[in-house]
Amino acid sequence: MSLSLLLQSVLSGLTNGFVYGLVGLGLACIFRGTRIINAMQGDFALIGGITAVLLLERFGWPMAPAFAAAVAIGGIAGWLMEVLLIRPLHRRAGSEDSYLLLTLGVAFAVSALVLYTVGRDSHSLPGLGGEGIVVIGDAAIRTHAVWLIAISLATMGALRLFFAKTALGLSMMAAALDAEGALTTGINVPLMRTLTFVLGGLVGGLTGVLVGPLVTVYFDMGLLLTLKGFAAAILGGLANPMGAIVGGVTLGLLESLAIVTVSSGYKDVIAMAILIVIMIAMPNGLLGRRLRQGG
Amino acid sequence: MSPLRRALVWGIPFLVWAALPFIATRHIVDLLVFAGLYTIAGLGVAFLLGQCGIVSLAQSVFYGIGAYCTAWFCVHKGLPSPVGVAAGIALSTAIAALVGWPVLRLSGYFLALATLALGIIGQVLFLEWDWLTGGTLGIGGIPRIAPFGFAFDTPLRFYFLVWPIALLLLVLHHNLLHSRNGLALRAMRDSPEAAAVLGLDIHKLKVQMFVLSAALGSAAGSLFAHYVTFVSVDSFAIDRAISFLLLAVLGGVYTVWGPVLGALFITVLPQWLSRLGDIHAFVFAAALIAAVILLPEGFGGAIRNWWRARAAK
Amino acid sequence: MNSLLQVAEVSHSFGGLHVLRSVDFGVPAGSLTGLIGPNGAGKSTLFNIISGFLPPQRGTVRFDGRDITRDPVQTRSRAGLVRTFQTPKVFARLSVRENLMIGCYRHLASGVAGNMLRSHRSRVEMELMHAQAAEAGERFGLSEVMERPAGQVPAGMQRLVELARGCVSRPRLLMLDEPSSGLNTTEIGHLRELLQRLNREGITILLVSHDMHLVDVASRVHVLCFGSIIASGAMAQIKQDERVRQAYLGI
Repeated sequence: MSLSLLLQSVLSGLTNGFVYGLVGLGLACIFRGTRIINAMQGDFALIGGITAVLLLERFGWPMAPAFAAAVAIGGIAGWLMEVLLIRPLHRRAGSEDSYLLLTLGVAFAVSALVLYTVGRDSHSLPGLGGEGIVVIGDAAIRTHAVWLIAISLATMGALRLFFAKTALGLSMMAAALDAEGALTTGINVPLMRTLTFVLGGLVGGLTGVLVGPLVTVYFDMGLLLTLKGFAAAILGGLANPMGAIVGGVTLGLLESLAIVTVSSGYKDVIAMAILIVIMIAMPNGLLGRRLRQGG
Repeated sequence: MSPLRRALVWGIPFLVWAALPFIATRHIVDLLVFAGLYTIAGLGVAFLLGQCGIVSLAQSVFYGIGAYCTAWFCVHKGLPSPVGVAAGIALSTAIAALVGWPVLRLSGYFLALATLALGIIGQVLFLEWDWLTGGTLGIGGIPRIAPFGFAFDTPLRFYFLVWPIALLLLVLHHNLLHSRNGLALRAMRDSPEAAAVLGLDIHKLKVQMFVLSAALGSAAGSLFAHYVTFVSVDSFAIDRAISFLLLAVLGGVYTVWGPVLGALFITVLPQWLSRLGDIHAFVFAAALIAAVILLPEGFGGAIRNWWRARAAK
Repeated sequence: MNSLLQVAEVSHSFGGLHVLRSVDFGVPAGSLTGLIGPNGAGKSTLFNIISGFLPPQRGTVRFDGRDITRDPVQTRSRAGLVRTFQTPKVFARLSVRENLMIGCYRHLASGVAGNMLRSHRSRVEMELMHAQAAEAGERFGLSEVMERPAGQVPAGMQRLVELARGCVSRPRLLMLDEPSSGLNTTEIGHLRELLQRLNREGITILLVSHDMHLVDVASRVHVLCFGSIIASGAMAQIKQDERVRQAYLGI
């Protein structure tokens, strides 16, 4: 294997890894705030991506406001999701399984709705920095991918600060860890749960506009994104704020290594096998903080 | 219940069942055959979820193994169909035991995710090992099941093959539920610690149930292959595993016969909704969401609760 | 003395806190042995170590002469070591009858396949389970509530269900964790009689409690305090022990 091929595969692995990491970040966010695994996190990205596509192509918006609106729509989708669907189930004390099925059902509904309204075509989004590329040694990476990595890192940092330092972030954590205790200290627990989903939706919408230029936006993209993101979050340890990104990058690099050394067909097999082994062997993820500490 | 009422409660559904394929169109009978196949595979998923608390999204793998074993042994080796069915069940149960032993140490979301990962691995391998499975081109020309020269070659005939098998399996599971090990399963679902104190080997029981569920999935897959006479990867993708799980949840996992209702729902309803045009997929998803929120115990649980409430009056 | 259960030099600490320091004690076959101690003495930890829910950091547990220190819970149970829990753990969605039936589990052998096919053995076992459940229900005064989901009977009764279920499994050693908590004086009186009767019928009992009035039934009592056994002997003798009076009775 030539050095440049290796470098190229590392770069593409990094790019994919940050995509998985972003989805995983959204998942981890919602898990931290509600103890729910949101099986439609990838569909938040679909919602954001398709909104950007429609605003750009059909309504001729400029890129910046279209992307901002797409992220906002992701947040609104998260809000609607919590208020309309999660809350009624929470009221009747749904089990872990029922939340999983509910969010899975929403994933189908979103996908079907996009299929109905937009069709089955793939839509590509313009990248940040257009079609420009950055050359590193013998290998090249799209300028957009560099943006993606930078924005992912910034998002991770911002979320970390948000949960650790701001009153709102701390209240959201408290509401998830001990709902009754949080209530007695005057925290509006239902509102915190809603905001958690808004936050997850925002991260999802952001994922959508960042992923769109790389893999195109289409009605069926959500589920596999969710899965890879899930794998990323679990790899890193669901409870750790940095976990999802670290897990995502690990997964992305392993995948591209698998493509180079085995065959591109087996990359999902390898990713999934790694996921299973990690869950059994290291239940707290690579960064190894215990789930029940929640921090 | 008086003997007359008992006769009505059992007799009327039986008559409806027996008469239905003669009244309905060929297309509907075809759907009902699929409902029968899905009942068998979904029963395994429902039993795992309801009695052991295991969310399985790997059933498509065993469904695929059954179908490919039947295709491979009958088409490439020219062996009779029982060989294919048996080989499928043997291979599925072996894999289920081997994989289930480590994976079933997980629980909750992690277990669900692990089975989903297994489902995806299966999906990719079915596609990549095209020397064995034919890949997207598939394997065609699978012979019909034809014991003593009577070929189950029409939807109507297959209807009367698959549903008695499904019914038999439902009865077997009903028996299991009302026996030593069935009681043990329900006990460990309520309190694993207390179950261990009474000498139950929880992990072993879970693995056994996973293996049993895999056998059902494989049997359904073999029957499927004999019915459609052609198999390709599209039939064993992860969305098939999801539909098995959905039918289990919709039908209700706490009643043995719930999967029948769930299977009818997911086979007949989408076809019926397809008259609505492209929106039908959305309506179906919405129905699923509504069922999860409004009927936590599925159709089966809702009917049973209604029946009990009526009996209590 | 012939000990059914022998705990030797068991130590355990959580973080830096030594919960158990080299604990030694035995439960003679056929005895009704008590283990008392104030809250935080390490009783629950010791109990969990004996029943297999917690592996000890040091020391051994022997049951009937065999080292069971590393055995999982269900292996110990199958050997006849059965415990109850401080907050009773009944199978909430199963009826009281089914709770009692499952007590027989370890003595039966039918497999999953036999159960599905309703084999002869499967049916015989089912009848046996029903018979034993009915007998135990009668005996523990649960006949009235047999068909109710166990999670829905009063808390005191759930404790009885758990005890009855344990007895149906015909244990060689029955370990009871604070069986009197949540019971009123009359009920504790009944419990005392019940324990004495079970013991006379040949079940060895290890009773863990901080309730002096209940532990009175024990023929021999060990006092656990700050992770060590500070006194052993008959109850009357224990009550006179200066260290016990200081550490435990607070007088």
